[in-house]
Parts: sequence; C-alpha cells; structure tokens
Amino acid sequence: MIHSVIIFNTSGVPRLTKFYTPIYQSTQTLVQKIYSLINTRSAGLCNFLDAPELEDFLGRRDEHEQLRVVYRSYATLHFVFVVDASESELGVLDLIQVFVESLDRAFENVCELDLVFHFDEVHHILAEIIQGGLVLETNLEEIDSSVRHAAQARKQSFASANPLALGVGGGVGPRSAGIPTPLGWLTGKLTGVGAR
Amino acid sequence: MWERTLQDLIRGLRANKKDEAKFIAQAVDEIRKEIRSKDMELKAGAILKLTYLDMLGYDMSWASFNVVEVMSSPKYHLKSVGYLAASQSFGPDTDVLMLTTNLLKKDLVSNPGDIAISLNGLSHFVSPDLARDLSHDLVAMLNHSRPHIRKRAVIAVYKALVKYPDATAFALTRMKEKLDDPDQGVVSATINVLCELVRRNPQDYLPLAPQLFRLLTTSSNNWMLIKLIKLFGFLSPYEPRLVRKLQPPITELISTTPAISLLYECVHTCIVGGMLQMHSGNSLAEMCVTKLAAFLQDPDQNLKYIALLALVKIVPSHPHLVAKYQDVIMTSVNDQDISIRMRALDLITAMVTPDNLQSIAQQLLSHLVRPDPSTALPSATQSLANVTSPSSVISPLSPSQSSAYRLTLSQRIVEICSQDTYANVADFQWYLSVLVDLSYVANVDIGKEIRDQLVDVVSRVRAVRRWAVELMIRLLSDDTFLRNAREEGSCAEVLWAAAWIVGENSSEISEPHKLLQYLLQPQISTLAPETIAVYLQASVKLFGVWAAGLSKQWDNDDLPKVKDIVETIIGCMREFAASADIEVQERAANALQLFSFVRADINSFRPRTDSIIAIDGGFETSMEDPIYPKSLLLVNPLFSLYELNPVNLAAQNNVPVPEGLDLDAWIVPPPRDTFLEPASVAVDDDLLLKKGKSKGKGKAKAKEGKAAKNSSRRGGERVVLTSSETPETPEQRAEREQQRLARLERQREDPYYIGDKTPSRPDQDDIDSIPVVHLDDMPPLPAANSAASPHFSSLLRESTTHISAEPVVVDRDGEMPEGAVLLPPLPPSQKPSRPITPLSNGASAHAPPAFPEYVIEDEVPRTGTPEPIKVVRAKKKSTPGAKKKRTRPAELEGLQ
Repeated sequence: MIHSVIIFNTSGVPRLTKFYTPIYQSTQTLVQKIYSLINTRSAGLCNFLDAPELEDFLGRRDEHEQLRVVYRSYATLHFVFVVDASESELGVLDLIQVFVESLDRAFENVCELDLVFHFDEVHHILAEIIQGGLVLETNLEEIDSSVRHAAQARKQSFASANPLALGVGGGVGPRSAGIPTPLGWLTGKLTGVGAR
Repeated sequence: MWERTLQDLIRGLRANKKDEAKFIAQAVDEIRKEIRSKDMELKAGAILKLTYLDMLGYDMSWASFNVVEVMSSPKYHLKSVGYLAASQSFGPDTDVLMLTTNLLKKDLVSNPGDIAISLNGLSHFVSPDLARDLSHDLVAMLNHSRPHIRKRAVIAVYKALVKYPDATAFALTRMKEKLDDPDQGVVSATINVLCELVRRNPQDYLPLAPQLFRLLTTSSNNWMLIKLIKLFGFLSPYEPRLVRKLQPPITELISTTPAISLLYECVHTCIVGGMLQMHSGNSLAEMCVTKLAAFLQDPDQNLKYIALLALVKIVPSHPHLVAKYQDVIMTSVNDQDISIRMRALDLITAMVTPDNLQSIAQQLLSHLVRPDPSTALPSATQSLANVTSPSSVISPLSPSQSSAYRLTLSQRIVEICSQDTYANVADFQWYLSVLVDLSYVANVDIGKEIRDQLVDVVSRVRAVRRWAVELMIRLLSDDTFLRNAREEGSCAEVLWAAAWIVGENSSEISEPHKLLQYLLQPQISTLAPETIAVYLQASVKLFGVWAAGLSKQWDNDDLPKVKDIVETIIGCMREFAASADIEVQERAANALQLFSFVRADINSFRPRTDSIIAIDGGFETSMEDPIYPKSLLLVNPLFSLYELNPVNLAAQNNVPVPEGLDLDAWIVPPPRDTFLEPASVAVDDDLLLKKGKSKGKGKAKAKEGKAAKNSSRRGGERVVLTSSETPETPEQRAEREQQRLARLERQREDPYYIGDKTPSRPDQDDIDSIPVVHLDDMPPLPAANSAASPHFSSLLRESTTHISAEPVVVDRDGEMPEGAVLLPPLPPSQKPSRPITPLSNGASAHAPPAFPEYVIEDEVPRTGTPEPIKVVRAKKKSTPGAKKKRTRPAELEGLQ
C-alpha cells in the first residue's frame, strides 16, 4: 500500500502531507530528512530514493515491509510517495503523473501557488485517487469528473448557506475565487514536465 | 470583528516570514476563540486553518472534539472540512473517535456525497471499535447503485477488516462478488484490496485463483494487470499447479506488452513466484535475465534501478545467468546515483563466489580510496594507488564521499568475505591485507568490525598466523596511524587486534624486544583504555618470549640489555598503574609487581665467568643452577602453557558438572517462610529439570525431581534437596574409559592436534583441496615508517615451510569441552559477530582445563561417540519456552 504522500517545494516547505499509516517520528523530521536527501540529487538520477541513512530512518522491516521512496520533481515541487512491496515501483511513478495531471485539470495550468492557497482542494483531489493508502482510481476522466462533482456540491452547499457571498469558499477553478495573489511568484508551471 | 480566512492566514504567513512563531501564536489564539463560536461557518474556518498549521507541524489534537462538531454539520461543504481535519489529525488513540459511531452510521445512509466523504474519512481513522460497529453498514455499501460509492466501500471494508479481522468471513463473500462488478473501477479497486489481503495470508485466497486467472487473460487495463500479476506472485509459491497454468499467459505478456511497468512486473513475478524452478523454467529464466540486463544498459536510470532490484532475487536460483553481466553490474556500483549504487551493492553481495571474491572485494575497496591525497591518511592512498583500477575516476561530488555510504560499503566488504565462516575466502593472507587496507582507507567507524575479523581469522586459521604477525608489526610501528587514532573514523580499534595478535603469537617473532618500543611508547596513552590494556599485556608476553629465548643462549653481555629493557617496562608500567581506567590500572599493576621481582633477581645476579667456574669447581654452584638469571623464565610460562584455540559457541553449555558438585544443594539454606513456599518450590522444580536435561539422565531423573518436589509440597515444609546423583555403575565407568581411549586415538590421528609428532595424513576436507592462489598484484602494505620496515621480515623467525604451500585450514567449529558432541551449525542469523571469545590475556590465563585438550575436526569419524540417550521430557509445560528451544538432542549426548 501507499504509506504516505508528501509534496514539498525546492526549499523544503511542505505543501501537502498525507500519512496513511502512523509514522514513528514527527512528520516534520520525516519531511526534512527526505527533503535533504532529494534536494542533493541532480536531475538525471533515478526516481527512487535509496540511501543508507534512509533505511535506518524509515525503520528497516522485513523484506515484504521494506518501504521505498518514489519521487518526481515538477518545476518547484517534489512529489514524494512512500510505498511498500505491494505497489509496483514503475506503477507508482505513473500514479504520481496521474496525480499531477489531475491537479492540472482541476486548476488549469497548476502552479505551486495553487497548492499553497488551496491545500484543502488538493486533499480532495488526492482523495479521489487514493483512499486510505490504496489506489482508488487511475483513470483521469473518472478522477476529473468525481473532483468536479464534489467541488460542485461544495459550492452549492456554500451558496445555499451564504446567499450573499460572492464566490469565496470551496470550488474548483479557484482562480475565479479572485484571490489577489502577488503574481511575482507565479513562475514555474507544472504542466507536462517530465511526463514519461 | 473581521475573521481571518485560510487564505488570509496563508498570506499572513508569507508576509511574516521573519517572525513566524509570533504570527502563528497569534493566529492560534484567534483560532481558539473562533472554534468556540456558535457559528458553524466560523468554527469550520478555524478548523481548516488549524489543519493547515498541522501540516506545518503545529499540534491540533486539542481541537479534536471541535473537529467532530464540524463533521456532524449537515452542510456538505462544512462536513468535508470536518472529515478532512479528522483524517489528517485523528490517530488510533484519539479518544473522541467513539463519539463518531452514530454520526458515521447516519452519514453512511445519507446522500451519495456524504457517503463518499464518510467512507473516505473512515478509511483513514477507523479503529477496532468503529470497525466492529460499522462493518455491517460498510458491507451493505458494497451494493450501492453508484460505482463511485462501491469502489470507495471496497477499500473502506478492507480497512475495517484490518482492524477487526473477525468480520473477514462474512465480508469476503460479498467482496468476491465485486470481482464481477460491471464497473471496471470497482473491479480494479477490489484487486488492489485483494492484493493486500493475499500478501498477508496467501493460503486463504487460493480458491479465488480461477476467477483472478480469468481476469488476467481477459483484461486489458494495465493498472489492473500489474496488480493481478503481483497478486499471483504472492499466491503461486503456495500452489504448484498455478505456476504451470500461469506460465503461458505471463510468457506471452512478457513478449508482447509494450508497457515497461507491466513487463517488469511479469518478470518480477516469474522470479518471486517460483516459475523459474519448473522443468521448463530455464528458458524463461534466461528470457527474464536478458530483459533485465537490457534494462541495466538502458539510459533510463529508473530501469537500471529496478533491474538491479529484480536481479538480486534471481541470483540465488540462477547465479550463472547473472554472472554473465558481472561487468555491467560492477559499473553500476560506480554510478553517480547513490540509489543505484545501493542496489548494485546488494546484488554484488549476493553474487559472491570463491572465484570472484577477490576481484569484487578489491574493486569495492578501490571505491573507498579518496581521490584527493591531501585529505588525511596519505600512506593509505599511496599504498592503494596500484589497486585502484584506472576506470574508477571518482568525481568530487561522488556519493563515495558520504560517510553513511562509506560505512555501508566497508561493512559490505567485511560481510562478503566473512559470510558462512569465510566460505568464499581461499587466501587468508589476502583477506588480512584487505582488512588492514580497509582500516586505512575506510575513514568511517568500522574499526570494531575489522578488529573482530582480524582476531577471528587469526584464531581460526593457524597457517596465517605468521603472516598476520608480520602485518600487525607494520601496523603497530606506523606512527601516522597512531597519531590519527583520536580522530573519528581512524579505526584505532585495529591496534587492539594488532597488539593482541602480536602478543599471542609472539613465539613467531625472532627479536620480540624490538617491538617493545612500539608497544610501550608514551604516545599510546592517547589510545582507548581497552587498547592500552592489550598493549601492556602484549608487551609482557613479548618480554616473556624474548627472555625465554635469551636464556637458551645466554651470554653475559646480554645482561645490561635485559636490565635496560626491564627498567623501561617498569617505568612505563608505573605510569599506567596510575591510570584512571581500572583495566589498564590492573594490568599495569600486575606487570609492575612481576617485573619488580624480575629486576630484583637480575640485579642480584652475578655472572659466572669461566674462571669462577674453574675456581669454584662445582663446589658452591650446583650443577642445576643455570648460568642465566632464573627470572628470565618466569614470565613466558604464564602465557604459553596452553595453546590458544577458538572456542565453540556451545562450549560453555557443554562443560560437564564436576563429580561431587551438587548444584541443588543450598549454600545458605533459605529461611523457613511459609509465604515463599510455592515460589521456592517452583524454582527447585526448574533447577531439577534443567539438571535432568543437561545430565542427560532422562525420564527417570525428571521423575525423581518430580517426586522430590511432590514430597516437599506434601510435607508442607522445607525439604532441602540433596544430590539425586546415582552412584556410577561399573558399566558406566567402563563406557567412560572406552570413550577416553577412543578420544585419545582420534587425537593421535589428528594432524592439528598440538604436540603430536605423528605425520599428518592427507585431508579429505574440500576446504583443503582449494589451491592457495598467490596474488602477484597484491597491494603492498603501507610502509609509512620506512626506516623500520626493512627489519620486519627479519624480525620473524625462520620458517621451515613456505606458508602458502600449506593447506589452509579454517577451524570453523572451535574448541569444545571433553566429551561434547558437535552441534549442528547455528543459522547465520543467530551467529554473533564474534563467535569466539578472544581474551586479551590469552587462553592460559583462564580456566586451566582439568581434562586433556580435545580438538574436534570435521573429518574425524566419531567412532567413540556413544548412542544418544533419549530424553523424554516429562514436564514440558513447566519448562520456559526459551529453555526448551535451546535444548537440542546433541547437547544431551555423551555428557555422562
């Protein structure tokens, strides 16, 4: 199963942390450790993180429980999945791609700031792909339609509760939510980088 | 009041980067206020902000009750906030979980949106209690009309089963139906779930195989196929027929699928599922290895990585197929990517055979050599310069610099050489050189392992001792090594081994006194106390050997030299006798007393000149009076009386209890305390049982013990258990005598038995048939102290035979006490890293055996071994489990 999904940026600031099984140390140290190992790796290297320090850190279990860290980097973000032996290594790589493409569909040209300001929305999208550490759906169309349905429902529910509000609150395509973002940060586009 | 939304909080965080802690403290204060508000919108907003802060590492467990409040909101957008917060922050010990049962029950029959988020949330925080109470509701959801809910329900049911396995039987029948669900997503989710279930418990799911097999042959969804293939990889080791059935479709998938991930998974399943062990498995194995080797050479690093991962698993069954690609694999150890290096190291370790060990170990060793000679340990770099193959050009950013990696690499080198008690090592001179080189170049904290290896090899392999002494003398005389001893990663523990080996084998050295200057130089005070203690002890041993040698060819001109050396030793010992470390202090004090005596004797010694002899004419000097100071012979016998042998792990357990020693007798009878009665009876019982076993008396004995115990219990008063030993019958005595004779016979035949003059007979052991390879390209040893080095070879005594011409004998079992029978070798996992117990003061200093020494060799037929005495354990249940395990039949044999 998938034990955790972590997104952090190139300076190690977490943008999403999801742990499907209890971990034995604080989430912060785990994120920092993985970040410090990934950050020193150059672009051409493989997407599997394997280091002597890591084996001790994740806790060396028996062969079947051996955890593997699979990651992909897109522009300013690293997407990290920690999985065990019942997930296919290459399959997880593809799953990360599916996740990123789903984000891209939901946010239309997703960038780091979308993840920063809509971290709840990112969680909802992830919940359409992985539930409780098991893969729920891998078909992009399916995921997209479920995400839209749920977002629509949240919007309606919000609108009926706050008839006077103007588009604040949950909803996909959230640029329409009109956040006055300092656009200077809007640089790295996540689309399609490293698609295999 | 204008409350902050999540967006405001995030923006504030970005604006207050400098004073984040203060800003967050303020924000949390606001949240605490908002969270108590009656307004659900405000409360949910606060919870959402808190969830965000939770990601940044701030505690939100204090708000768990409020999270439940938000979860129970009827409004969908608020409910989803509540469930998100719950799935992020609730753990197994969150106490408010029990409040959610009814809420979840209600949500599970609500509209599809609510059902979806509650199923999702439940999958994260389900507890055993929730799983028990909700399992029926969850299983009911498996038949929901919407596929989206059905697939969520499949996973939620699985999560509940993990926490509450009692529901498995009833949930599983419904779950199996989902394999035929019209929606592909639901089938796919079911396969995912089954994959997890099968992995835990493969046998239970074998009946599902036909259904799964049908899916395998009909489906075209790669995601699902990957999982199915994985699933069969877990299943097929338990059902040989399945292997036969799976082979055609998997072979076809391997040759046709364009998806690399699916191809890899097929290859992987072939390997782990035991499909290559079949009669037609060889061609399949070849195909798998060819595919993997193609991955190895692929420019895509990911493929390289997973290929190494799969090759590790194929090595045990088909080593020859993998061996073809050794060169490619070796280059992967040189990869710039540490992930790939780690896997390649794993693979290389698995591939080691006696033939390739030396080249592999040398190549690994060359990775440890620093390319930059300016950084520490120049002698090592020089010495290894010619070992380094020209191909290994290491870039400055190479992972070889990371100390964790260097440690792993060093451990691997030791591991591949020492596995199965040096099964792969043909040339021990080479191995010792590798160990010494490693201590120079490792630059990580691996000294302890090297020390243990050096001591172990020297104790087990008699033939290599001479060479070891020569090596160790070089180490001891290397000033650079000593100077760096304080630094981290200097492997100073190796000096412990060096001093011990030199001391123990000092008879190999022709001029031992010359070494004393290294062992007693003032700089050694920088070493670790335990090393100093060994140094001191070794110098006493060296003196003993030297003095004994001197006495044989005494020349009165030697007297000043002896005096000089004794003074030096005393001076040094006096200093260390004031050491803060108790071990050093005691060694030094012992030596000090010993040498004070030697000094007194030497000072009072009056050399006899020929003229004196002529004058006295044997009048005052008796003929037995030696012409040299008698104290020269004082020290050596203290250390050299008994030969040093490796001791078998089980030796201590097999030491027979001496006759007349009653282990059950009280030394001080316990007070008559009626309250303690039951407890002490139990102890007696235990003791008796243990004794019964170790003595091998069997049932009768155990019964006796039981009777004794019963009587003590019946009597209600303290019965002091006296020896239940039955007197030795004449038959037993005769048998014992016979055993002794047989043993002596064996020892006579044993070529390695000490002090035996009979010519050795040819060995049948295959270890000895291994030819000893003399390596021409062996690295020269570090010779930092070049001034001293020319003497080394001359320091050793003349040897009659060339060392490498002797067959290498590894004493794998170690010494056992008299009459003990060899135990089956322990599984490697149980072997401690130091199977033998080297003691710094040598074997002679402890437990002088009261019985003749006895060396067990594998090839000796044990004709004299008595029939094992059958022991029927009369009272199994009273024996603690750990003890039961340790008692093996072999231990019971022949101890009478």
